[in-house]
Amino acid sequence: MIQIPAHIFLNTILGASLAAIVCSLVGVFIVRMNLSSMGFCMSHAAFAGAALGLAISRDPLLLALGMSTLVAIILGPVAERAKLQADIILGTMFSLTMALGLLFLSMIPGSAMSSDALSILWGSVLGITNADLMRLGILTIFLIVVIGLFYKEFLAIMLDRKLAEESGINTRPFYYAILFLCGVTVSVSLKLIVGRLIFALMVNPASSAYQFSHNMKSIIFLTPLFGLASSVTGILLSFQWDMPLGSSIVIMSVVLFLASVLLSPKRKRG
Amino acid sequence: MRPVIELQNVDTVYEGEKNATLKGVTLKIWPGDLICVLGPNGAGKTTLLETINGILPCKRGRILVLEKDICSKGPWIRSHVGYMLQEYTFLESTPYLVKDVIIMGRFGKIGLLRRPNDIDWTAAKRAAEYMDVLHLWNRPIGKLSGGQTQKVLLARMLAKNPKILLMDEPYSNLDYKAVEDISSKICQIHRNRNLTMVMVIHELSHIPPKCNRIILLKDGKVLGDAPPNKMLNSNQFKRAFSEYSV
Repeated sequence: MIQIPAHIFLNTILGASLAAIVCSLVGVFIVRMNLSSMGFCMSHAAFAGAALGLAISRDPLLLALGMSTLVAIILGPVAERAKLQADIILGTMFSLTMALGLLFLSMIPGSAMSSDALSILWGSVLGITNADLMRLGILTIFLIVVIGLFYKEFLAIMLDRKLAEESGINTRPFYYAILFLCGVTVSVSLKLIVGRLIFALMVNPASSAYQFSHNMKSIIFLTPLFGLASSVTGILLSFQWDMPLGSSIVIMSVVLFLASVLLSPKRKRG
Repeated sequence: MRPVIELQNVDTVYEGEKNATLKGVTLKIWPGDLICVLGPNGAGKTTLLETINGILPCKRGRILVLEKDICSKGPWIRSHVGYMLQEYTFLESTPYLVKDVIIMGRFGKIGLLRRPNDIDWTAAKRAAEYMDVLHLWNRPIGKLSGGQTQKVLLARMLAKNPKILLMDEPYSNLDYKAVEDISSKICQIHRNRNLTMVMVIHELSHIPPKCNRIILLKDGKVLGDAPPNKMLNSNQFKRAFSEYSV
């Protein structure tokens, strides 16, 4: 087992746990609304933003946040205007942000390719700072408060947007808010988990929770627990076997999902 | 007496399309009316209901529902109007219980930053009881039969104590027994609550006995608007369905 200082270990556990909570909470919307490419697209938008930041010597995290927020803001109106499924727009955006990310990456001067800079692009939970923890903590509280305040509107939109409109809810601002929350979550978590694996932490815990209940309230409660379990067991696995941290967390989230499918009471007949 | 629904020369154009689906529709619907909308496929029947409900924006003309303009008061109107969507089904894995679906009918009425209170839950339970689905209260919505689902959707509409009910083919995909059951419930609601109802139907046998008007649509235009006996024997009706058998 790798020996690391206690404060780094604690920061790692805390950071990964908070990232798992926010990613998996957003994942409840993503899975229910069939936006599974959202995490993938947002993480690449953040990746492109971070690469741009490194290329022009500006704060990569700030530009990552800006880029994924920009994609989140234009996604909803574009999908509605073009009368296309959000997933189709996401696919197109994904290829664009991926191409931009690689383009900006090729523009980064050699001296900037330090391990610190690369950690933003590739994720390094071991390098987590107190400022990162603060950002994640604020995002966790913000997300829980927003979901708590507009719980019934989100619940109705996740059942069906048209049915929600029928009951008298103006769904548009809430739909855009979901996209925006996804963008912010990806950007803030980017430093911790390999950008391209964030979407797994969004989709897998929520997909696992969906196996256990027909009740959305239970699913919203269970999902962050699955996220937490993936994170903590992933970290322990990583330290025990000297594996990359992000990969271990994602592997554990997949293992939990497979176990959930096998144990799902919803799949039992009778 | 003032009409509860009034359409003045309304055109509805789907986004991205050039031609209007509804063309110059003018209608007045009075309190207590039970209206059936008939017409061949593509006549604009669903478009008419969604235009009245404000889900589709009208490009020309004016729509007043409960004396309010749908363009400026859409969400308020929708919280007072029940709308049953066409052929609505839930996937078996849908993670919502029957009680969740019924209480959601009241969400618009409850308003922002408020949770359903005892009054809301009582209204939802009463609606479920009225539709004979109270015993399904804690069942997953995706596990119900087609007839049970339709009854839950009706209960969802009734939970908001609507003044108007718009129903888009409420009998589609139902077996004979379920059609009979839902049909008698719809008549009972109209009789006991004196609601204004507008329903799109495909089968003439589904016209409720208390129906007082039939609106005939073809190619987005109102071809006729008359009591059932007069309408069904009219030349307009025969012409509208000349290329199509009901």
